[in-house]
Amino acid sequence: MTRKFAPRLNTLLIIIAGLSAGALAWEGHHVSFLFVSVFLMLIVGVPVAISLAASSLLFVLITGQVPDFVVVHRMVNGVDSFPLLAIPFFILAGSLMNAVGITDRIFAFATACVGWLHGGLGHVNIGASVIFAGMSGAAVADAGGLGTIEIKAMRDAGYDADFSVGVTAASSTIGPIIPPSLPMVIYGVMASASVGQLFAAGFIPGLLMAGALMLMVAWFAHRRNYPRDATFSVATLGRTFLRAFLSLMTPVIIVGGILTGAFTPTEAATAAVIYALFLGLVVYRTLTWRRFIAVSMETIETTAIILLIVAGASIFAWLLTSNRVTEQLTALIGDVTTNKILVLLILNVILFIVGFFMETVAAITILVPVLLPIATSVGVDPVHFGVIMVLNLMIGLLTPPVGMVLYVLSRVSGVPFERCTKATLPFLIPLVAVLLLVTYVPVFSMWLPTLIYR
Amino acid sequence: MSEPSPDTGNLITVEEEDEPHIRLRDMGVEDVIVLAVFWVLALNIFVQFFTRYALNSSLAWTEEIARYLLMTVGFVGSIMVVRKNTHIMVEFFYRYIPGLTARVLSVLIDLGRIAFFSMTAWICFKLAGRTHQMMVSIDFPKSWLYYMISVCLAAMAIRAVQVAIRHFRQGGSDMALAAVARRREVESGTQGP
Repeated sequence: MTRKFAPRLNTLLIIIAGLSAGALAWEGHHVSFLFVSVFLMLIVGVPVAISLAASSLLFVLITGQVPDFVVVHRMVNGVDSFPLLAIPFFILAGSLMNAVGITDRIFAFATACVGWLHGGLGHVNIGASVIFAGMSGAAVADAGGLGTIEIKAMRDAGYDADFSVGVTAASSTIGPIIPPSLPMVIYGVMASASVGQLFAAGFIPGLLMAGALMLMVAWFAHRRNYPRDATFSVATLGRTFLRAFLSLMTPVIIVGGILTGAFTPTEAATAAVIYALFLGLVVYRTLTWRRFIAVSMETIETTAIILLIVAGASIFAWLLTSNRVTEQLTALIGDVTTNKILVLLILNVILFIVGFFMETVAAITILVPVLLPIATSVGVDPVHFGVIMVLNLMIGLLTPPVGMVLYVLSRVSGVPFERCTKATLPFLIPLVAVLLLVTYVPVFSMWLPTLIYR
Repeated sequence: MSEPSPDTGNLITVEEEDEPHIRLRDMGVEDVIVLAVFWVLALNIFVQFFTRYALNSSLAWTEEIARYLLMTVGFVGSIMVVRKNTHIMVEFFYRYIPGLTARVLSVLIDLGRIAFFSMTAWICFKLAGRTHQMMVSIDFPKSWLYYMISVCLAAMAIRAVQVAIRHFRQGGSDMALAAVARRREVESGTQGP
């Protein structure tokens, strides 16, 4: 009954929302119209970039506040930003590293390091993700590249598929917390915060996530009596280290360059691309023309998708600020509570809910102009809030219905989506614990950037 | 993030896997242009990197050029994204609406998208006409940038028309068709034993 009825109800809801958007515009509630219009377009499947830009254009045409070319001018200027240059080159470096085939070397080295623990491959999985996090900036890439190798190795060693998928999904979220990180670059651009500081701020929280996940794996290993997967030997460790040495230098160059302040994020991305090309063309000689072009086209596509969203979000954010919407929202929350702990809790809950339904880049560009002023009004540092936001949205990658990592892992592992979701559920506990820790103990995120940059 | 690329599907066999297939037939003009611009941008960035570390001085114009090239990659690349229809969008709602609504929505979205790109192309063209600035570090009118973007937006509109025609022929967007198929499954499921 409900199954046949609910869809029709939803159709009715869309029509009502459309009519109310029209009514709001007619009655002169233009700001409410802007919000309803964006929300309606998003939900019916209009591309995120167009939902934002088209709603803004409609708003400007209806109110006549500013001439229409301001919309295009703001969109174009929104992507005219030097830090954004880091995006294509971090994507390119990550894809090149995957194409060059360094992931299995890293996995072998991680096995020699922690494979001798009980539930060894679970720990290996997390360790390899930490190393890979130092060269890749997107969780989905981490899950699709390294995750495939990890799940296969765990299955071959006799681990059940659920445990393998759960650990792999959870550990892939470390990628965008440890620098480099695409979400952090986008946050930095939208929030006018220093990307270098954001990168430095993510380093310790990333290691905390790895530690918390390893505790969880250790607990599972103890309860289910998982075996040791390898015996510890200095010889193997040395051999795999030598084999992986040049690959392992990538995170050292990127993370080291950023943490010592030698590289700006864009320069770190450039260095990573040059180094990946060096590995692929000179050392391992695994990079062919076809792969090279395929990787370039993928990079361009992802870059274009992200840039158009940033462009659309720029005009939307500008309208929110120029109409003093963010000020009013901040005042509204200020009326409810000015308690920093409570405000941070409210912001985290909002981010958590949005994470269920929205992809990371879209969520960041839409929410930064709305939520950041609220956070700074209670004295939260924009860099600290950046780490909270990205970490929170990473957890959103593991929750249905829009859990990108789960989709990728379900596809590469052949485990149905629903089972992937259930398998990942227990690993949300350590991640949420780290989120709370990072939220309420600013020192974890702020210590390094303060040390390096301030 | 975007459409699953063919080679992320089975990376387990990455070592033995065949080379990725690049079919020239599937590539549009914009793909070739954007690939060239992208690698010019990469070279520019490499040069900038080396001048800063080897010569210990950075060339100011390389930074400005890099920003314009990135914008070019973004807007020309967007033409490709429209053609392939791989924008980021919220898809989950389509699971909870009937097939007819999904089809109607997909037509409306296609029409809206064409209207949006055409309008912004026209607005951007007007903006270019009003821009009399020069670029900061190079002696080149900034209006050219806006003319370029205007052309890109117009090309997006054309690609959007092509996508709309394809959707119309197959009876709705891929998302809508998936929704229709799912509803059929549910309905036959409830009627069956």
